[in-house]
Amino acid sequence: MTAQETEQSAKLDVDIENAARDRHQLRTLAVAITTISVVLCAVTAIIIYVIALNQLWFLNFPLGFYLLAQGLLFFVVFITFWYVRVQERIDHTRSMNEEIA
Amino acid sequence: MVLQSRQRTPNPHLGAYYGIVASTFISLVILLAMAEQLGWRNDSVARLMILVPLFLYFAIAVAARTLNVEDFFVSGRRVPQVYNAFLLAAITVGGTGFFAYTGALFFVGFDGLAIGLGWTCGLLLAAVLFIPYLRRAGAYTLPAFLGQRFRSRATRMMASAMQVVPTMLLLAAEVKIAATVLALFLPGPYWLTLLIVILFVAATGILGGVRALTWSGSAQFISGAIGLAIPLIVIAGLLTNLPAPQFTYGEMLNSLQNAETAAGVVPVEPGALSALPGNAPVAALKPFLQTFGAITESGFFALFFCFALGTAALPSLLSRSGVTASVADQRRSTAWALLLVALFAMTAPALVVFAKALMFGDVTLIRTQGLPAWLSGLSELQLLKAGDLNGDGTIGASEMLLGRDGLALALPILAAVPHILTVLIGAAGLAIALAAAGSHLFTLGASLADDIYRSLDRQPIVLPRLMVAWAAIAACGLLMAIYLLIAEVDALAYAVTAFAFAAATFFPILLLSIWWPRCTVWGALASLMTGFAVMVLGVTLGGVFGIAGNAASTAMVSLFAVVLGLGAGVGASLYGARPTAADIDFYEAMRRPDGETLFDQAEARAATAAARRNAD
Repeated sequence: MTAQETEQSAKLDVDIENAARDRHQLRTLAVAITTISVVLCAVTAIIIYVIALNQLWFLNFPLGFYLLAQGLLFFVVFITFWYVRVQERIDHTRSMNEEIA
Repeated sequence: MVLQSRQRTPNPHLGAYYGIVASTFISLVILLAMAEQLGWRNDSVARLMILVPLFLYFAIAVAARTLNVEDFFVSGRRVPQVYNAFLLAAITVGGTGFFAYTGALFFVGFDGLAIGLGWTCGLLLAAVLFIPYLRRAGAYTLPAFLGQRFRSRATRMMASAMQVVPTMLLLAAEVKIAATVLALFLPGPYWLTLLIVILFVAATGILGGVRALTWSGSAQFISGAIGLAIPLIVIAGLLTNLPAPQFTYGEMLNSLQNAETAAGVVPVEPGALSALPGNAPVAALKPFLQTFGAITESGFFALFFCFALGTAALPSLLSRSGVTASVADQRRSTAWALLLVALFAMTAPALVVFAKALMFGDVTLIRTQGLPAWLSGLSELQLLKAGDLNGDGTIGASEMLLGRDGLALALPILAAVPHILTVLIGAAGLAIALAAAGSHLFTLGASLADDIYRSLDRQPIVLPRLMVAWAAIAACGLLMAIYLLIAEVDALAYAVTAFAFAAATFFPILLLSIWWPRCTVWGALASLMTGFAVMVLGVTLGGVFGIAGNAASTAMVSLFAVVLGLGAGVGASLYGARPTAADIDFYEAMRRPDGETLFDQAEARAATAAARRNAD
């Protein structure tokens, strides 16, 4: 292999690694923004409409109170474990890409 | 050169060990319950229920003692995810959550839910935004991470000095709660119980650092969870016929509303009550389900965001970011901690509704059936002051003054269940408070020793690394004991201020340093100083101008400080020179999900360089 070919091959490796890195960071950012914005939007909406929601009843609880005391907490736990699963998959993909590169 | 990760295998018998710890605790409860029924005196039962677990926790701490630096600061980076989650949950909620938060819910009802929700969402923010990257960096303390990220000793030292405020405030709150519970059940004056608590947490930290805190704290968390679950399950079974308090307390809400109305508790005007109750005994004057009575809607939002951002950036919590074996483990560990905190946040309102329904139900019957039996029981433990203040010949809801921090203990007395269950809740809260206090004290001492002393004295000859940490932990413990003997500490107000300081000082800098490669050391310093200074001004001068007079306005100031801190960080970073290539390299390495811990690589390089210098 000539010196020029070696240089080109090294440059290609760097480009592949940078592309994998950028893709990983973009996907990580997208998942982080999705996770946090979904939870914060849910919390905000329920706090704003809690008085109206309290007119309805669920399992002997006023619905607005129930959502803030339990419903949202279940939702946050669910979203967190979903996030962990998705992020691990994204991380795994990057590791695989680098091994291939 | 690619360094291979060290094999970090946890002890395969851990499950068996902690099974034995849980069985021992449950056996002790059963034995003492039998002893109580056989005629043992209440105070003997209480002393054994409090002291035996204390010896057990201390024995575990002694067994986990270490002189190894990595074990001392990060427990060898091999703590299994669930055990680390126990500690993360204990630090987040703490004894303050166990006693002061439940007490606050008793007085402000619905409005207090902002705090529990804030803790839970804060752990989500930490899991998504900070913890995996802090694990990859692997620094022993939060300031050490900032110092390494910006290659700046000034940032590291400044962050260490600034983390003293939130950590000290939380330490004071936890030790106060632990000492108060001990003083309720053990003979002897308050100063003696305070000394016992300080000696216990300082000895645990000194003996084995994070290693001892982890293993002793796991036992404390298990005892705390069992101690909260058993009384609540028993009382839920008695009151609702189903041993699932979180789901059945809805049945009690109607009877609670009726009892409150009969006892003369009517909806309050917003702003008529202080946002959160203080230390002084007060009457519960707000209906439990009234929305935004003590705290306005904007105050609720502020308190929620203050606790969420404060939890996400809490130094004691984040300093445990290096203790598991990998980035994925640390992320999962935070998710487990979130689940545990969410379970507590679901349980606290159940405890309060049971207590309030029982109390107000009996209060309405005083005129016809005389004083209830629990009145003398609560007065004996100094949890309640009641008297006919208005001279109408009876005691109404407004004439019963209740101490906020003792309300969790009041539930078993109100439900007329055996005394062992009251002591069990006390032992559980004490265990959680000790686990949290130990972590706060260690975070404080370790940071002062490792981030300030070692930064000033680069080649410590007189005092080796661990000795400096021991001295710092002991000195902080001593100072805290003196402070608590002199000062009157309101645990909940201290916790709100601590979370506000953590949010204002550390949230902006962490967000910028982990998610924005353009952030420079000047941006970091500007962000740290702005957030901290705004909070100091808000708390010191705010009281004078009525800006930070209560919990909701303190929270509001912290959010203002977060926004200003972010603005200062972004502005200073963009105004100054671009980050160096080394800064960018560290940033990129930190964002990689796998590979050797960066802090360990740096330590290994420093050790090699020192050895080469010595050889020359």
